[in-house]
Amino acid sequence: MSDQKRRNFQIEAFKHRVVVDPQYADKTWKILEHAIHEIYNHNASGLSFEELYRNAYNMVLHKFGEKLYSGLVLTMTTHLKEISKSVEAAHGGSFLEELNRKWADHNKALQMIRDILMYMDRTFVPSTHKTPVHDLGLNLWRDNVIHSSNIQTRLLNTILELILRERTGEVINRGLMRNIIEMLMDLGSTVYQEDFEKPFLEVSADFYRLESQQYIECCDCGDYLKKAERRLNEEIERVTHYLDAKSESKITNVVEKEMIANHMQRLVHMENSGLVNMLLDDKYEDLGRMYNLFRRVPNGLSTIRDVMTSHVRDTGKQLVTDPERVKDPVEFVQRLLDEKDKYDMIISLAFSNDKTFQNALNSSFEYFINLNARSPEFISLFVDDKLRKGLKDFSEEDVETVLDKVMMLFRYLQEKDVFEKYYKQHLAKRLLSGKTLSDEAERSLVVKLKTECGYQFTCKLEGMFTDMKTSQDTMQGFYASQGAEIGDGPALVVQVLTTGSWPTQPSPPCNLPNELSTLCEMFRSYYLGTHTGRRLSWQTNMGTADIKATFGKGQKHELNVSTYQMCVLMLFNNADRLTYKEIEQATEIPATDLKRCLQSLACVKGKNVLRKEPMSKDIGDNDAFLFHEKFTSKFYKVKIGTVVAQKESEPEKQETRQRVEEDRKPQIEAAIVRIMKSRKVLDHNNIITEVTKQLQSRFLPNPVEIKKRIESLIERDFLERDNADRKSYRYLA
Amino acid sequence: MRKEDTVKLISAEGFEFVVDKKAAMISQTIRNMLTSPGSFAETEHGEVTFPEISTTILEKICQYFYWSLQYSSGKETECTKNRHVLPRVPGDQNYHCS
Repeated sequence: MSDQKRRNFQIEAFKHRVVVDPQYADKTWKILEHAIHEIYNHNASGLSFEELYRNAYNMVLHKFGEKLYSGLVLTMTTHLKEISKSVEAAHGGSFLEELNRKWADHNKALQMIRDILMYMDRTFVPSTHKTPVHDLGLNLWRDNVIHSSNIQTRLLNTILELILRERTGEVINRGLMRNIIEMLMDLGSTVYQEDFEKPFLEVSADFYRLESQQYIECCDCGDYLKKAERRLNEEIERVTHYLDAKSESKITNVVEKEMIANHMQRLVHMENSGLVNMLLDDKYEDLGRMYNLFRRVPNGLSTIRDVMTSHVRDTGKQLVTDPERVKDPVEFVQRLLDEKDKYDMIISLAFSNDKTFQNALNSSFEYFINLNARSPEFISLFVDDKLRKGLKDFSEEDVETVLDKVMMLFRYLQEKDVFEKYYKQHLAKRLLSGKTLSDEAERSLVVKLKTECGYQFTCKLEGMFTDMKTSQDTMQGFYASQGAEIGDGPALVVQVLTTGSWPTQPSPPCNLPNELSTLCEMFRSYYLGTHTGRRLSWQTNMGTADIKATFGKGQKHELNVSTYQMCVLMLFNNADRLTYKEIEQATEIPATDLKRCLQSLACVKGKNVLRKEPMSKDIGDNDAFLFHEKFTSKFYKVKIGTVVAQKESEPEKQETRQRVEEDRKPQIEAAIVRIMKSRKVLDHNNIITEVTKQLQSRFLPNPVEIKKRIESLIERDFLERDNADRKSYRYLA
Repeated sequence: MRKEDTVKLISAEGFEFVVDKKAAMISQTIRNMLTSPGSFAETEHGEVTFPEISTTILEKICQYFYWSLQYSSGKETECTKNRHVLPRVPGDQNYHCS
């Protein structure tokens, strides 16, 4: 590239020749007007784009933009008015098609016009803040065609009628609908909403109101819900196919309101098919459908929840207070577990494990289980039964499942300390009679209780297990050291029970036969030799014995009897006939126990190793007993009347309850002292609340009882009444 | 160059410049012209007449098209390899003639 000498020259901008022709604008406009006509008449192929573009360009350049623009508006309007007329003239069915076709034509023409007038669009229009050509075209279409008086209503009515037809099952031209609706959307969201959506929603609301009224008269709940679901899905599908996506939530709201929300109460309470029936019959599918539909409306789920709660409470209350049921505790508890399983299944299958429903179920169960004051006792009996024989053929996991379910019921109890008392009693009996099925199952349950309630709850229970183990070791030691001296005498098995851990029972007197008493003394001296400072007392009411008996014809049987019964039977080694009084004297067993014992020996068919005179059921003071020579039994080993855990009789129940109340007193006091120590001063109501809160894991304290305890503490100078405020108390260190 | 990919630009004096469609489309006007939905004469015959643009100007315009293609894509296209490229940015007052 050679260096050029810089010449001072200016390059002038390329100017168009100034046009002097006064007709220039008109002439140019004529050309363009003609072109627009041709475009609308589908005749554009002869035109030269370049020429038209150039003309438009020149007009704008020479400041004739305004003329061009207004000319455009006029021409377009004229054409659109013609189009409008032709659309109006279309007959019924072809109305929409004609409109659709003309709309497509208009769009195409509009784009061509815009391309030609691009220069004006880019320079003139923004500077004068006029509407751009494309939008102008849409607005003119809207004003002249859509909003023309004849077309506006007819269009809306046609669309709505088509939708109605589709709702009643006819097939309509969805593509055409889509185009028309999209046209409305293109014209602006206000057009879409005012000209279509609002009336659409109103008409739909009316339609569904009517339909729901019809359905609810003739259908049952399940069918109605099916229909409602179908309609809902149909509307959603309709939106995806030919409506604006934003309409989906609006139309679904309409359906939900008309079909579901307005009829909620009626559906739920419908006779023979409402919610309660569905629950009773485990109609999972229907329940699931109800859940899904009701979830969409406000208060839907709470309605279901409330009805379910009240139903569960009612059935539960019935179950629990039914006198028939109460007769068999194991059955009672099993029924409770079955109910819980049923509702758990419903909640997981139909209500998608909704937490609020679980909570409602739990609170209902808590409510009615505590309606029956004997629930803790029954649950303990249930466990007892299972651990004795109910879990016989269960696998380890099944055992765990059953125990977990029991724990679940346990959690619902308000009076957990009552349960503890009974459980201890029953456990003691199980351990001592050696009747527990599986040691592991026992321990597993104790562990679960510990996790639930803390160490304090279970420390005594664990003490019982430890005692059993220790006793075994002690026995081994006893026989190892004394074995030689005992020789061929009766075999003794002793369980040494620590007094604190086991349920306290008074040890009534009982005269053991000589053979045994010597053996017992030997054991006592052995034990006290190794454990000085301890006191042993024989609990003769809790023991068992195996004795061999030879009857009249020489048949031998081994009898498994309680200790009391053994004492009685051993008497017959030395006498054939004994009166009641004589037996009583010899054995010194207390009257009620003795009577019961004799009853099982003499009055039970198949186990009557003694004969009674007279042969009545009850034991009178003057009855006599004879050894029953003619006793027969199919089995070699015969079990007679072992001490089984039973449902308590009324007086026993009262006694236990009293003991529980007694036990509660120190617990309440301890809680009060704990609270006052940290708070120093507290008023009466707050104390009650705090104490209740602290103790609620064990039992529900009675406010009256709490007041009494406070009085007692004041007497003992743990607390004092505040001088200023009679209702508050102060802690005395 | 295939026939379908090209378009003919005709100047006021009648000179015909055959360029790639891709190049011609650099101009928005020509692009609209060629992609307009209507069946204008231009798209029918594949040629555009510019009665008011002189040949020299039109030639520069064509050169600009290819320059723009080359530099906007960042690669030397096959068509521009043999072209003489303006060494300066257009709009610069000082031209270098070669």
